[in-house]
Amino acid sequence: MKTLLPALLIAASAPALAGDHAYGPFPANYVSECGSCHVAFPPQLLTAPDWQAMMNVLDKHYGVDASIEAKPRAALADFLQRNASRRDKHASTVQTPRLTQTAWFRKEHGNLPAKATRTLPAAAQCESCHTAAERGDYNESGLKLPAGFRHKER
Amino acid sequence: MKALITALFVLAAGSAHALNAADYQVGLAAAAKAAEPGFAGFSAQRGETFYRSTHGGDWSCATCHTDNPLASGTHTVTKKTVKPLAPSANPARFTDVDKIEKWFKRNCNDVLKRACTPREQGDFIAYLLTVK
Repeated sequence: MKTLLPALLIAASAPALAGDHAYGPFPANYVSECGSCHVAFPPQLLTAPDWQAMMNVLDKHYGVDASIEAKPRAALADFLQRNASRRDKHASTVQTPRLTQTAWFRKEHGNLPAKATRTLPAAAQCESCHTAAERGDYNESGLKLPAGFRHKER
Repeated sequence: MKALITALFVLAAGSAHALNAADYQVGLAAAAKAAEPGFAGFSAQRGETFYRSTHGGDWSCATCHTDNPLASGTHTVTKKTVKPLAPSANPARFTDVDKIEKWFKRNCNDVLKRACTPREQGDFIAYLLTVK
């Protein structure tokens, strides 16, 4: 029991492992601050330098002002740093960090466009296919693929 | 100025009840009077014009919040649903000072490319309070 209990506590508090499709649930402040204009993205899908670069320019956040007061921002930045990916495949391949522009994302999401089309959602609209994305749950049981989606680029 | 508005609001609202939009206007009115000696109260009509104007840019308030503040809107960039803005349709609106100030700062920058004045904010709220 002595060894089991700490192990259980670690399991309960550890960030989800990549590959199991369960990245959440996320802290309430993360969901409320980073999930009001878009779904709260899994911190595990970008690297620490990418998140830091993003958090440094929240007043110019992909064309909108998403600035947050210093104190709550520091808590969010800390959460992102602690849960960021350490793998190259999750590093943004474009200068303004985008988790839809990593080697991993492109491999997994084939022909999803950057902007929504008549038939396909934009790549960043996770919740349109991953129906439990709000909770950080990307398991395949909750997956609804749109017609026209190809897993791999041809 | 922001600190002043917050302080005035806290004095005006006291602690008897939760914040609402009218409480927040009390602080805005004092700030508007300080900024414009001729200030003679907020105008829902001016607020509606402000709400629908693009202010020389691409976006208006209505771009995301729709022409009808009682309706749910859609974020023009991300397409995520935006809950109704008018307190009569969404009682949670204007009940949290931090949220009010956070969103005025962001959205005024996005729509007007500058901060909104206390009068503009008060007119805007006056309009939203008339929509039922």
